[in-house]
Amino acid sequence: MVPLFTAEGLTSVVFMAMIGVTVVGAIIATNTERLIRAVAGLAICFIGVAALYYFLQSPFVAVMEMLIYVGAVCVTIVFAVMLADPEEGQHGKGNILAGPFSIGLGVILFWGLAALALKTEWTPAASVINNGSVVEIGKSLLTTYSMVFELISLVLLVAIIGSLVLARAGRTRTETES
Amino acid sequence: MKTVLFIPELFLLFSCLVIFTMCINSSKGSKARNVTAVLAVINVFINLFCLKLNGDLFFAAYHVDLFSQIFKLLIGIGFAVVLLFGKELKGIRDEVRPEYYLFLTLSVLGLVMLVSSTELLTLFVALELSSYSLYLLVPMRNDETGDRSQMEAGIKYILFGVVATGVMLFGMSYLFGLTGTTYLSELVPAMHNLSSTPAAIVGLAMVMGGFFFKLGVAPFHFWVPDVYEGSSNETTAFIASVPKIAAVALLIRITSMAAPGNSTIVTLLTILSIASMFYGNLIALVQKDIKRMLGFSGIAHAGYVLLGLVTLKGTGYATAMYYIIGYMLMNLACFLVICSVSRNGENVAIDDLTGLHKRAPFLAVTLLIGMFALAGIPPFVGFMGKFMLLAGALKEGYLTLVILAALNTAISIYYYLSVVRISFCTDSEDRPAVEVDTITKVVSCALLVFIIIMGVVPAKIVAMTEAAVKVIM
Repeated sequence: MVPLFTAEGLTSVVFMAMIGVTVVGAIIATNTERLIRAVAGLAICFIGVAALYYFLQSPFVAVMEMLIYVGAVCVTIVFAVMLADPEEGQHGKGNILAGPFSIGLGVILFWGLAALALKTEWTPAASVINNGSVVEIGKSLLTTYSMVFELISLVLLVAIIGSLVLARAGRTRTETES
Repeated sequence: MKTVLFIPELFLLFSCLVIFTMCINSSKGSKARNVTAVLAVINVFINLFCLKLNGDLFFAAYHVDLFSQIFKLLIGIGFAVVLLFGKELKGIRDEVRPEYYLFLTLSVLGLVMLVSSTELLTLFVALELSSYSLYLLVPMRNDETGDRSQMEAGIKYILFGVVATGVMLFGMSYLFGLTGTTYLSELVPAMHNLSSTPAAIVGLAMVMGGFFFKLGVAPFHFWVPDVYEGSSNETTAFIASVPKIAAVALLIRITSMAAPGNSTIVTLLTILSIASMFYGNLIALVQKDIKRMLGFSGIAHAGYVLLGLVTLKGTGYATAMYYIIGYMLMNLACFLVICSVSRNGENVAIDDLTGLHKRAPFLAVTLLIGMFALAGIPPFVGFMGKFMLLAGALKEGYLTLVILAALNTAISIYYYLSVVRISFCTDSEDRPAVEVDTITKVVSCALLVFIIIMGVVPAKIVAMTEAAVKVIM
């Protein structure tokens, strides 16, 4: 057991706190009635995840997580909520999968995965693969992962054109209806 | 020259660029379709010439060999056939048709890259490229009925797809955690050593889950009926045949990670196979909409394909590959009829085929052969495929599974043949004649010839699939 008031002890306290932030954010995101609060929960969850990346020696990924997920994705969802004015507070009919049954299932799943994780001999991860700097990431993106890097651009192209096509269709229909 | 290895993909990228230019110029739908069809046909020939290539690209993340090239050729053929018979694209508004073809081509590109990827990250991104494009094709359909069923189908498709992808990524993290690599060439031997540990089995099963979703194996099938019914006929023809080819390719690659005789994986595949066959066939019995019926029959056929994977051996994989090739051809033949019978892109009920032998004798014969082949009646490819799958599984000692599969074949004959009965043994009741153009006729003849040839003289194709599977084992 590491004494609490050392560098390592405090680090693990902060680490646990960040795991807590992630879990609490996730619970808020899934359990609130109002959509906007769910988005806020999602943002909190992402902040926790960014901190976990930092603990995994990847400061660059942590910064990107903050910039893209907290900064861009959540803000975009907030805009979508503002513009679309969704009907809130409507709960679906009681599903057999909801309620005690799902809690039981979740507990069993958690127990199974936890037991699996504890009992398996994982390959020990190298403590530091590289220094996680922008230079290293840039190098691997343009060598080992060059293919994925280029392919992602196509996926983004599909996403952009697709959202334009679908959104435009929605607008013309309302005009003809009104 | 390494660039040569990448020519099929480069050509597809070039096609995407051409279609993209047409999207920007807001070209007419018919022009976009003609250009895409020509490019797709050229693509088939390019794939044919690149069949024998072999080599690594992009730091070994991308591997070109006989296995991947055969699948690329098949995907190319499926793509070209769908474009050639779906000439009018009746269910889609004219101004978004260029975009429709762009997504279709990008989806083909994703699938083509998927079968060549030998690194988990590349594989994942290629899969997402093809999936996103398909998710978009579904809600692009016109809203004729006013109940927005295409939107519901699109949402269902994307939600189930995202969950399946999440499960697959989680499984990949297990594989990476156990072996410390994402390259398949290193994963396969490493996983063979680990194959009895629970974490390896859970990881493999989860990664398979992502492709079970694509193939529509129960219990990953929930999207199938609604997406088949909600998307336009041409889209369904594509979704029902081409991605399933790639899914089988990847399932073969992933199951080859399990060491032969791994009883847990075998039990898992057996259960999924039985569940898919019974679920698909029993529900298909009561369907009124022919696309829905083919959807459920697709679930059952996914179960048959698993019969080949259950053996965890090269011959079993080769038969599974043979069967999915046959399935693509028979399925496309049936969808060719559906797309032609549908006047304005609406869904076709089984009753709409009444008196088809008088209204369009040619289509009726195509439907007859397609349905006979799907039902597994000799001398068509469906019979030969099922026979080889059952014989292979029997040789490995899965007697119960074989009996249940044979029982399912018997059940399925009923609903396939009732479609044939309606189209041949009823009067047309003043339903209008269906006109068929020459290209559709040529495509349909080609499909039928392949269905018959593969059923009568399967030896050459089986030898080819066996050679292909040997490359990756």
